Amino acid sequence: MRRTDEVYAIGCGMHPFGRDETVTGMDMAERAIREALADAGVAWADIGYAAGGSDVSGKPDTLVGRLGLTGVPFVNVQNGCATGASTVLAVANALRAGEASLGLAVGFDKHERGAFHVSAARYGLGDWYAETGMMLTTQFFALKTRRYLYEHGISERALAMIAARAFRNGSDHPLAWRRKPLTEQEILDSAEVSPPLTRYMFCSPGQGAAALVLARGDRAFDLCEQPVRLASLAFRTRRFGSFEVFSPWLPPGPHRSPSVDAAEAVFRAAGVRPADVQVAQLQDTDSGSELIHLAETGLCGHGEQEELLSAGETEATGRIPVNTDGGCLAGGEPVGASGLRQFHEVVRQLQGRAPGVQVPGAPRVGFTHVYGAPGISACSVLTV
Amino acid sequence: MTTRVIDEVLFDDGDPPRLAGARCSGCGTVVFPRQDSCPKCSDGAMSPHVLAVSGHVWSWTLQAFAPKPPYRPPSGGHRPYHVGYVDLGEVLVEALLAVPRAEIRIGLPVRLTTVPAYRDEDGTEVVTFAFRPDLDGER
Repeated sequence: MRRTDEVYAIGCGMHPFGRDETVTGMDMAERAIREALADAGVAWADIGYAAGGSDVSGKPDTLVGRLGLTGVPFVNVQNGCATGASTVLAVANALRAGEASLGLAVGFDKHERGAFHVSAARYGLGDWYAETGMMLTTQFFALKTRRYLYEHGISERALAMIAARAFRNGSDHPLAWRRKPLTEQEILDSAEVSPPLTRYMFCSPGQGAAALVLARGDRAFDLCEQPVRLASLAFRTRRFGSFEVFSPWLPPGPHRSPSVDAAEAVFRAAGVRPADVQVAQLQDTDSGSELIHLAETGLCGHGEQEELLSAGETEATGRIPVNTDGGCLAGGEPVGASGLRQFHEVVRQLQGRAPGVQVPGAPRVGFTHVYGAPGISACSVLTV
Repeated sequence: MTTRVIDEVLFDDGDPPRLAGARCSGCGTVVFPRQDSCPKCSDGAMSPHVLAVSGHVWSWTLQAFAPKPPYRPPSGGHRPYHVGYVDLGEVLVEALLAVPRAEIRIGLPVRLTTVPAYRDEDGTEVVTFAFRPDLDGER
């Protein structure tokens, strides 16, 4: 069925992630867009609706000055880690509403080195919170991970297995930043940042850009040999009782994450089960996050992760390949670009032309998941 | 040497001071620090509520590197410190943990205390809340 209210990805482009002082965020975005347009075989003038997102590297809609002043509607998005997913959602909804038949989503960022700068006031908190050294995202991830390992009887080695797989996949991926494989022991023995998390279990703020050309179902198959269907996309904010970054207090548990809500919604809307997923992207700001997200999204049960990892089931050749491009751990996290990197990787996997390691057996169902401050999550299901 | 608490909004006026939160009359939700509206329900009124002084470590970690400003290190400079959530029954509170590494664990009984946060320009010692091992809490 090629209904006009269905939306497909028909082209994607990406600027390599990492560090490159010679390019700006806008430079990278332009390159990713031109690559996505060429991949789809369309011109900028064909794009009837666009959305772009960046956290710190400029107003995305100013890119029209570089790409061509066609008068196209261009929405700017600033939605933390869900920025990329929000741009795809905006474009997909516009296409479904009949606003255009071809659209483009782009995300980019270029961050300073080191931990992200924070302001207590910006989060509605008193100065005391930052002055006493409690306002650090790294602490939050460590505290959440420590509690999770305790509640589910998981060892710290599971965290190293996740990072080792990320760097192994990254070493095979031409667009990844961290290209050097590391052993589990090297990861466990690296400098303690906030235990149980070590240096190599955290991603770093970096730079990069990614873009996606989307088409309505009535155009997709004429323009693309292997269009990838956006079966569903769901975006959720937190509800009462979720355990989020920069929380001076929490209610007694259980603590339900917006990732659970977004994943349940996206699988329901797509009519597929988590067990049907053949290639997945999970937010891996750190090893602990990916570990927790594996279960929160339903890809496995709580406490099953270590066995899954030990058995190699999250490798490209396993039952549920995760972060086949190395994720944020190997790619770094340019906040605005990260979500679209996930789409880029899953689309290319489903088309059988992964830039790095390819999941064998022609996967047909892909999944993406992002999660971030102040308690947001977006998931998508992509199918061929 | 004079001493002051880092922010009076965090404490009641007892001696020693206890943590001052707020409780919703509608759903019983306890928050810290206090705020004027309930994050859970829209029915209740928030009233001042003093938190328990003893509880258990719910999760913990170490801050190994010196945070960027606006963090203000103690007068001796940054040294790695423990932070965690303390389960006080009706609420979990994030706090510095004045607990040695060898003793720290989930479930450790802890008790409210104050520790030096930083020294003001005028020499005043500014203190903040923390939790230390509670030897009486072990049952």
